[in-house]
Amino acid sequence: MNPLELTLGIMTAVGGFVDISELVFAAKAGSMFGYALIWVFVLGTIGMSVFGEMSGRVAAIARQPVFSLMRHRLGLKLGLITLAGSLISTLITCAAEVGGMALILNYLTGLPYALLAIASVVALMASMWILPFQWIERTYGLLGLMMIVFALALVAIHPPWAMVASGMIPQVPRGLSPKELLTFSYFVVAILSAVLFPYESYFYSSGGIEEGWGPKDLLTNRVTCTVGFGLGSLLAISILAASAQLFGPINVSPEIPGSSALEAAIPFGRGGLLLALLGMLFAVAGAAVETCMSNAYAVAQFFGWEWGRHVKPWDAPRFTLAWIAVMLLALLIVLTGVDVMSLVEYAALFSIIVLPLTYLPLMLLANDRSYMREHANKWLAKGLGWLFFVIVTVAAIAAIPLYLLTSGGQG
Amino acid sequence: MRWMLPVGLALAACSKGPEADLPSISQARSLGAEWALVNEQANAGKLTKTYVAAMRKSIREQLQTRASSLTQPRSPYGDEIAALMAEPDSAAPNALRNHAGKLKQIEDSLESA
Amino acid sequence: MSAFDHLKIVSQLLDLPIVDRDERSCGVVDDVELSGAAGKETRIEALLVGPGAYEGRMPAWMYWLVRKIAGDRIARVPADQVIEIGSVVKVKSGAEKLGLHLVENKVRAWIPRKGAL
Repeated sequence: MNPLELTLGIMTAVGGFVDISELVFAAKAGSMFGYALIWVFVLGTIGMSVFGEMSGRVAAIARQPVFSLMRHRLGLKLGLITLAGSLISTLITCAAEVGGMALILNYLTGLPYALLAIASVVALMASMWILPFQWIERTYGLLGLMMIVFALALVAIHPPWAMVASGMIPQVPRGLSPKELLTFSYFVVAILSAVLFPYESYFYSSGGIEEGWGPKDLLTNRVTCTVGFGLGSLLAISILAASAQLFGPINVSPEIPGSSALEAAIPFGRGGLLLALLGMLFAVAGAAVETCMSNAYAVAQFFGWEWGRHVKPWDAPRFTLAWIAVMLLALLIVLTGVDVMSLVEYAALFSIIVLPLTYLPLMLLANDRSYMREHANKWLAKGLGWLFFVIVTVAAIAAIPLYLLTSGGQG
Repeated sequence: MRWMLPVGLALAACSKGPEADLPSISQARSLGAEWALVNEQANAGKLTKTYVAAMRKSIREQLQTRASSLTQPRSPYGDEIAALMAEPDSAAPNALRNHAGKLKQIEDSLESA
Repeated sequence: MSAFDHLKIVSQLLDLPIVDRDERSCGVVDDVELSGAAGKETRIEALLVGPGAYEGRMPAWMYWLVRKIAGDRIARVPADQVIEIGSVVKVKSGAEKLGLHLVENKVRAWIPRKGAL
């Protein structure tokens, strides 16, 4: 295990953890329910670590990414349904990220939103064309580390640490009205969805293949998934906790993504604001790239095309066309003028519905000794995997009713 | 007589104006409070001019959307949202919080009703 | 002993990715061509690759949609081309020789060959 590679991998995972959905839901959750939803981020991160480690292990041992083997496991018909659902949910997520980028650039430059959306897509596509895979991942991940300003801001505002810590214990606040209870449940599902987005497993496992992972990389995989995702989730928890401290008492439940940056501006002034906005920009940009490439991976792997950015774009031509098409479609969605916050809601809703179909083949593959040999799931991975599969299935069933009953978390 | 059921349901839905408007009231309340916070931090010199201008513009657009979606614009909460929107961009934070506070009271009374 | 001895067609072969001798992805096992008859020895004659092979594996309306989008071509990979079946199916020839990669090569002509590091 190369320590430099491992450190870079962890830092990339930290900087790349937060996307526009986590930003939005963390800020709203903190303002509406104080520290009481921190445990959902913890739970979701453990789930993400479990499935992320599994998908990385499958990539390293079977030397095939999840979507390739997923079709083999589910068959053509169910595989096509999973593919379609995944493509739709990830496309909406990509559009949310692109819209988020345009908004953040608007806060930084004051230039028109539509122009910035187009500029963002051009810049993203240029980076995906020019840079090989490892540079793409590391550039956005490492620049996203500016998000650490949110953790520093939380320390600076002196929150009640005992309450922050107690928020990590699964709980339902007492005295909630039935409507508030439904809204609380909605946020549980929304946060789980935001943390466990399907595109993250596809991107992570495909990334393992792109980087040529083998059995020697299993420890790197495990450490990246536990330490990297764990530290990354602390950034999301920082946003939630600062929102509880700063926004909740003054009746702010952020309706605009830019409000989150105030968490860093309040203690640190303009410097904090700029760092927060830049950190958000690169974290969201990284997520835009991941969602775009994830869709292209899914299509290419499902139909057996050449794929990957470990080769030049012309060596995987249909894959290249696929990610260009996804990015342009995402831009089209943004240019229709649909509100970014609405896109975030829809992304979370569609993604949680698709999640059980994403994780079931992964579980089956990781358990299968004919592919995984001595590296098949042992009792801990099996137990946690099935536990989280049940959790995401319950969340998937509850998602639409909760969305409708709470008007998308508005109460 | 069965045809009366959908008509009755439609009428019942129409008559739930304030309840149907509750999400918009809640969002408008928050937008007013966000606006106040932005102005407060801007007055303290903690924000860039570009950010302040962009946030104010976003908040106004969102408020306009909420106001347009009200089923009962001629109502205490409709008037309060209109009064909030009539405030100048650089309105005093307290004035904006005043509007947000009133919307919060309306919101709470509708929720407990 | 060939790669096809004692094989479960659905769980061990169907919908597996195919890679050629140069380790390039060149499709998925979309269907299998069998010879034989009821009560007689059954042999795998070829792997079928391409959207045309979906017919019979999905409802008629779904296949209609697939045909509209992707066409109905089928490439036939003779069984004797298969050297290994595991997490992928490995074939002994290059993709072009087996009639695979036709669309990939067509699309390659559209992609400019510059700018990438």
